[in-house]
Amino acid sequence: MLKIKNLHASVEDTKILKGLSLEVNSGEVHAIMGPNGSGKSTLASVIAGREDYDVTEGIIDFQDKDLKELGPEERAREGIFLAFQYPIEIPGVSTTNFMKTAVNQIRESKGKKPLDAVAFLKLMKEKMKLVNIRQDLLSRSINDGFSGGEKKRNEIFQMAMLNPKLSILDETDSGLDIDALKIVSNGVNALKSNKNATVVVTHYQRLLDYIVPDFVHVLMDGKIVKSGDKNLALELEEKGYDWIKSEN
Amino acid sequence: MNITEDLKKFLDGEDDTKSQKRKSDVIKSIDKSYSLQKEEYKYTPLLKKINKRFNLFAQNKNIRSQKSYSEIKKSIDSKFYILCIDGFYKPELSNIPQNISIKNYSDLSENEINLFEKIYQKYDDSKSDFFSSINSITHNDCLTISLDNSFKSEEQISIINIIENYEVSNFRKMIFCDKSSEASFFERFIDLSQAESFSSSVTEIYLSENAKLNYYTTQDFKENYHYNSINTFQRRDSISNFYTLSFSGSIVRNNLNICLNDKNCYANMYGFYAINDKCLVDNHTSVDHVDENSLSNEHYKGIMGGRSNGVFNGKIFVRQKAQKTNAFQANNNIILSDKAKVNTKPQLEIWADDVKCSHGCTVGQMDEDAIFYLMSRGISRKKSISLLLSAFSSEIIEKIIDNKMKSVFTSLIKNQLDKFNDE
Repeated sequence: MLKIKNLHASVEDTKILKGLSLEVNSGEVHAIMGPNGSGKSTLASVIAGREDYDVTEGIIDFQDKDLKELGPEERAREGIFLAFQYPIEIPGVSTTNFMKTAVNQIRESKGKKPLDAVAFLKLMKEKMKLVNIRQDLLSRSINDGFSGGEKKRNEIFQMAMLNPKLSILDETDSGLDIDALKIVSNGVNALKSNKNATVVVTHYQRLLDYIVPDFVHVLMDGKIVKSGDKNLALELEEKGYDWIKSEN
Repeated sequence: MNITEDLKKFLDGEDDTKSQKRKSDVIKSIDKSYSLQKEEYKYTPLLKKINKRFNLFAQNKNIRSQKSYSEIKKSIDSKFYILCIDGFYKPELSNIPQNISIKNYSDLSENEINLFEKIYQKYDDSKSDFFSSINSITHNDCLTISLDNSFKSEEQISIINIIENYEVSNFRKMIFCDKSSEASFFERFIDLSQAESFSSSVTEIYLSENAKLNYYTTQDFKENYHYNSINTFQRRDSISNFYTLSFSGSIVRNNLNICLNDKNCYANMYGFYAINDKCLVDNHTSVDHVDENSLSNEHYKGIMGGRSNGVFNGKIFVRQKAQKTNAFQANNNIILSDKAKVNTKPQLEIWADDVKCSHGCTVGQMDEDAIFYLMSRGISRKKSISLLLSAFSSEIIEKIIDNKMKSVFTSLIKNQLDKFNDE
C-alpha cells in the first residue's frame, strides 16, 4: 500500500529524513518510535503532503501512485489520513460543516453524488458512537476551546467519517489521560480491517498496549535503524533509546 | 483649484433665509473642515479624485424615473420602503408604514419644522468633515422621517438610494425617533448610472429617551465614489445598533459618529468589508461618551484582496463626566495579496477615571496551518480558503439579532466572498 524508499526530506535546508525506507501493507499496524527530534512527525507530515517539507530524494508511493505529484487534498481523497499531534483550532467553522464539506468533496472527486442531509446525519450518528463524542461538541467551532482529549477524539471522529485506507496517528497519545487514551484506541481498533492500515507515531510504549502493532520501527536521525515486532517496543521501554544508539 | 471659494459663491444664489443661515454657519468653519481633511483623509484621496472628475456644484432636477423603479422593484424584499433617486425622495414609489411621517423638509408643517429645525445640521459633522460641509451646502431637499412614540416595529423599513441620472448626487435626511419607539432601517445605495459618479449622503438621527434603533447599511457600487456620514445623537436609555457592509466602489468613505449624550446609552457598531481590485473602503467612526454609565461596543472586520485598500479609524472619547463608561473597540483584517493594504488606527481620549476601555487591531494573512488542516481532509485549497473567510465574517453576522437581516447579510457576504475565490 505505502512504499517509501530512501526518502530524504528537509525543512528550510535542514535535512531531517536521511534515507528512510518503509513498506506498509493492508491489514497491518506499524509503530514508529524514536527519540525527540528523530524525524517522526516529519515523516507523518511528508506522507500527508505538508508543503513546508521538501522531498529531495527517494520514492514515496501510495497504491502505486507517486505521492510527490499529489497535493494534500488529493492524498486525502486517495485514502490517506493524518491525525494531527496538535489539531488546529478554527473559530467560525463547525466540525459538522467541516466534515460535510470534506465527505462531499471526496465523493465528488470520485464522481459520486453528495450525501443529502439525512444520509450525512445518519453517517455522523454512527461514527459519533464509535469515539463517544457528543453532538454539541461537533456543532461547535473546530477544536475551539476543546480540551486535549476532546481534540484527539475529534481527530479519530474525523478519521471514522472519512474511512481512510492509511491512517497516520501522530503522537495521538500526547495530552491524553488513561480514560481518553482507551476511548481513542478503541475507536482506532474498531476502524481496523484487513483493507486498511495504520501507522502509529509515538515515543512511548504505553499507546501500543491499546493499539497493538504488527511491526515496530525505531527512527533515529532520519532513518529507520531497527525493526521488529511488538516486543521491540517493550525492550525499548526497558532499555531506552541509548541502547540502540550504542548498538549502531 | 479653490473649492472653498466655489462653495462660498454657491451660497450667494440661495434665497431662503433660514437655509442661508444654516449654510453660512458651515461656511464660517469651511477653512477648518478643509484643513482637517488632510489628516482625516490621509489614506483616502477622495477629494483629489472627485474634484478632478466631477462638477460638485451642478444643480440636479427631480426627474421622473421609470426604468430604475422596475429594476429596483425586483430587489425590494421588505414590505416597507422609502425610495430616493439622485437625492430626491419619491413618495409615489415608496410604501410606508403607519405611525411614521415621511416628508421633504420643504413640505413640513410649522410644528414639524419646529421639531426638525432642532436637528437639522445640529448633529452632523459639517463643521469638521469637508464632505459633510459640501453636502450641507449643495444638497437639495432634506428627507425627514419621524417616528412617534407608539411606533414599534421589527419589520425593517428599507431606505433605497439610487444613483441614476447625474454624475453627482447628494442625499440628505434626518430621522427622529420619539420616546420608546423601536425601529429598524435597512439603507442601500444602488448604482444604476453605468458611469463614474460621486454620491454623498449625510444622515442625522435623534434617539429620544428609551428609543431603540437598528440600522443596516449596504452599498452596491461599480465605478463610484461615495461619501456617507451617519450621525446619531442619543438620549437617556436609548440603544443603537449599526451594521455596515462595504464591498465595492472606487473610493467609499463611511463616517459613523455617535454621541452618547445622556446616561445609560448603548451603541453597538459592527462593520464588515471585503474588497478587491483597486477598491478603497474607509470606515471612520467616533463615539463620544458624554455622560455616565454608557456602553459602546465596536467591531469591524475586513478582507483585502487584489490591489485594494482598507482604512479604519475608530475614535472613542470619554468625557470627564462619563464615569462608569464601558467602551470596546476591535478591528481585524486579513490581507490576501501582496498588493493589498490596510491602515488601521484606534484613537482613545479619556478624561474620566472610572472607565473600562479596550481597543485592538490586527492585520494578518490566511493561516496556512488551518488551510493545511482542512486540505488534509480532502477539501480543495479554494474551498478551504472560502470556509476560513466565511468563518472570519461569521463573528460579525452573529451579532445581528434579527433573523431575517441575519440571512440577508449572510447571503450578501457569501456572494462577495465567492468572488475572492475566482482568482
